[in-house]
Amino acid sequence: MAADRHRLIEFASFVWSVAALALPLGVLVFLLSRSGSLAVEQTVIEALIKIVAVVGLYVFIGNSGIMSFGHVAFMGIGAYAAAWQTCCPMLKPIVMSGLPDILLQNTVPNFPASVASGLLAAAAALAAGAVILRLNGIAASIASFSLLFIVNVIYSNADRFTQGVGSIVGLPVYVTPTVAYAWACAAIALACLYHRSRFGVALRACREDDVAARAAGINVYIQRLIAFVLSAFLLGVSGALYGSLLGTISVDTFFLDMTFMLVAMLVVGGVRSVAGAVVGVTAVSAVVEIFRQLQNGIEVGAFHVALPAGFQGIALALFMLAVLIFRREGITGGHEAILPERLRRALLALKK
Amino acid sequence: MQSLVDAAATGSLYALVALAIGLVFGVMRLINFAQADYITIGAYALIVPSASTVPTLFIGAWPMPLMVAAVALVVVLVALATERLAFRPLRGTDPSTLLVSSFALSFLFQQTIMLVFNSRPKSIEFGSALAAAVEIAGLRVPGVQLLTMATTIVAGTLLVFFLRYTALGVEIRAAAEDFTMAQLLGVRANRVIAVSFAISGLLGASVSLLLVVQTGTLDYRMGIMPVIYGFFATVIGGMGSLPAAALGGFLVGAASQLLQAWLPPDLRPFRDAFVFGFVIAVLLFRPEGLARPRAMRERV
Amino acid sequence: MGVTADIGPASIGITGDEILEARDVVVRFGGLLALDRVNIALRRNEIFGLIGPNGAGKSTTVNVLTGFQQPTSGEVLIDGRSIGGWSTNRVARSGVARTFQAARLFPALSVFENVLVASVNAGGSLAAARERAGDILAWVGCANRAERPASGLNYGDQRRVAIARALALSPKFILLDEPAAGMNERECDQLVTLVSEIPGRWGCGVLLIEHNMALVMRTCSRILVLDGGKPIAEGTPVAIQTNAEVRRAYLGDKAPGAAHR
Repeated sequence: MAADRHRLIEFASFVWSVAALALPLGVLVFLLSRSGSLAVEQTVIEALIKIVAVVGLYVFIGNSGIMSFGHVAFMGIGAYAAAWQTCCPMLKPIVMSGLPDILLQNTVPNFPASVASGLLAAAAALAAGAVILRLNGIAASIASFSLLFIVNVIYSNADRFTQGVGSIVGLPVYVTPTVAYAWACAAIALACLYHRSRFGVALRACREDDVAARAAGINVYIQRLIAFVLSAFLLGVSGALYGSLLGTISVDTFFLDMTFMLVAMLVVGGVRSVAGAVVGVTAVSAVVEIFRQLQNGIEVGAFHVALPAGFQGIALALFMLAVLIFRREGITGGHEAILPERLRRALLALKK
Repeated sequence: MQSLVDAAATGSLYALVALAIGLVFGVMRLINFAQADYITIGAYALIVPSASTVPTLFIGAWPMPLMVAAVALVVVLVALATERLAFRPLRGTDPSTLLVSSFALSFLFQQTIMLVFNSRPKSIEFGSALAAAVEIAGLRVPGVQLLTMATTIVAGTLLVFFLRYTALGVEIRAAAEDFTMAQLLGVRANRVIAVSFAISGLLGASVSLLLVVQTGTLDYRMGIMPVIYGFFATVIGGMGSLPAAALGGFLVGAASQLLQAWLPPDLRPFRDAFVFGFVIAVLLFRPEGLARPRAMRERV
Repeated sequence: MGVTADIGPASIGITGDEILEARDVVVRFGGLLALDRVNIALRRNEIFGLIGPNGAGKSTTVNVLTGFQQPTSGEVLIDGRSIGGWSTNRVARSGVARTFQAARLFPALSVFENVLVASVNAGGSLAAARERAGDILAWVGCANRAERPASGLNYGDQRRVAIARALALSPKFILLDEPAAGMNERECDQLVTLVSEIPGRWGCGVLLIEHNMALVMRTCSRILVLDGGKPIAEGTPVAIQTNAEVRRAYLGDKAPGAAHR
């Protein structure tokens, strides 16, 4: 039957788009974590966590066409939510005395805690998005930027919940490359699912022409809100994972620098596709890592050659500017990994 | 009463920044975050480039008129360079791309300054005479606050005069109104944009000098918060018009100080959140000049 | 000149359900009077033409009927319900679909997705929406290009996909804004066939704005003529063709044979 065949192709298409990213990524992660270097392993974990975040950014920015500079606020919300659930049972009552007893006296296992953190971020996004997404285009971008500051001010001053501008230490460091990879794959799958769902298509229609989209019966506001909430969930989860990278978080981690970094990664990779998010994080992480090694110094013959500190930031910014000037759509050009024609035709020809 | 003066002074400073941002936005639809670095660079130009924690005055040691001129020159050159090298290739792209680029450029500058000068804040002895308070009508007003307000008034007046009564100024206003049309009428895009950047450089230089006098510190990120506030100020005031931008600056600075004075102690640390929240409220209820610049309302 | 009293729903005895109505619609843009008491009653089984010289207010009328423009006074009713203050997407989902003068497809989406995106808003399951989208695309003759990005279509195909997209809403009324603009004669013929079939095949009334007189005369059962925002004549194609006021609006006072003194 045509409908069954169609569903098979849809499924195959979905699996392909996820696998096309997840498999090479998996190979890369596997090879790198075998290198034996702890520093490299840290970099890999951090990159994978950032994939979760940047994929989340893509879900909103890529599909809606609205550049959001505030999403890292949700990352911060997720990070602290995880801290409230999983941190330092001994220290918690002292350091985060404002928390309700149920949190002070209990520790939530890591996986549910991450999910819960994501959900809290999503809830915050629902509230914020309901307001902000009434605006259009640049106004929404500016409003989201404002949101970043609002959250930063609140969290920086809510001392009894967040240690204010100080750091919270003692978070469980449980995220291994495998755990991070699993989450990255989950994020990719979720983003691909959204992309091909009726909501993703509708939102992209809004991006292309919001007047025509309305004439086609699409509720632009609701579609944007859906993407906003979903992307916040992913960012919240990435924040929760981030805390477990070094076991410590502070409010300023989730502010301007992180925002720039994540947006840069997405832009470099290609704003309009999940593949862009993954490629962008990989490429930028690689560049940063290379420069970091150069800054640490390499042996050239009898000499120890080292770049001065700070070069990696410059390299990254130049890289990003170059992409924006010369190849605006990013490395992937906004293309997704699609099921190859041959495979599609083969599936069509299958006898049931 | 004291807080009113503080409010006016802070507001003046943000108004200067808001003018710079509003001007560039007007002609290029670009929100120039690199303005933060124009301010920072102007300040760092005062010392000898070095990573040492104890800075040696360079331009800062020159006689005042020369020093002010030199700092202004440095910043204007930087501003023009960024226009020529970074923003010109991006002219005409969508606002999002421009926004991200100016972000990237700002980041680039910060990293470079950090590289050359080292990331630790440095304190310098500069204009300390101005920090002394002057007695006016029973209030003790730091000289620097008076200077800030005076600078803003002078700058604002000069700018208005320039835009209204000089040929170049009229061209800039025309370009801000409708760039394509202005071009068709013979206004030279490059000149108009370059001049706008140069003016924003001048404004940036004055802000940097005022900041250094006020705080006595150099930090590679010192320009960021003033520009953020200045940027939000233009949003509040209305990005389509310069007087509105300046007004927005005043409002933001004033609100910040007044909230500090009037909020209950518990909520005082959160006063900035109110300001940022106010930005969103303005966008929602009076988005003129921003959400609906000139011909944004689509003819279906 | 005595003609206005004869123009309006009452003159043809239409009341109540199953009509898209504009009642005494006035639209003012500042000092400009774009529409001056326009009355329309579109039935679900007819093809109704809206013509007039450039600037007569035809597109404004469509905008008002679809919620893209709020009237300064007067109201628009779907089956007797006023749509005053409704969002445009709500109007669309309530059964009033439209096309634009430019096709305004979604370039990055495939042709099929362009139609699907509207189809899901017509209610029913996703599978039903897909089927409907496929059927309509086939009917307009673009099924073989379904998977291609909409940006790659030629002009004529874009127009047809735009019509398909509007029909995918399962509307009660479809408003076509100059669908034949830029088409050659052969394409126009195809369009005539297509448009003529719409009420019978898809069960919706058609309001057709067109400059192409031949097209209008061949497809429409009734025509309203606007000039400078005012309705100046309404009737069958034959009646309109012989109407002196209409001649004057299009050809000016010096038109030969204009015996209206």
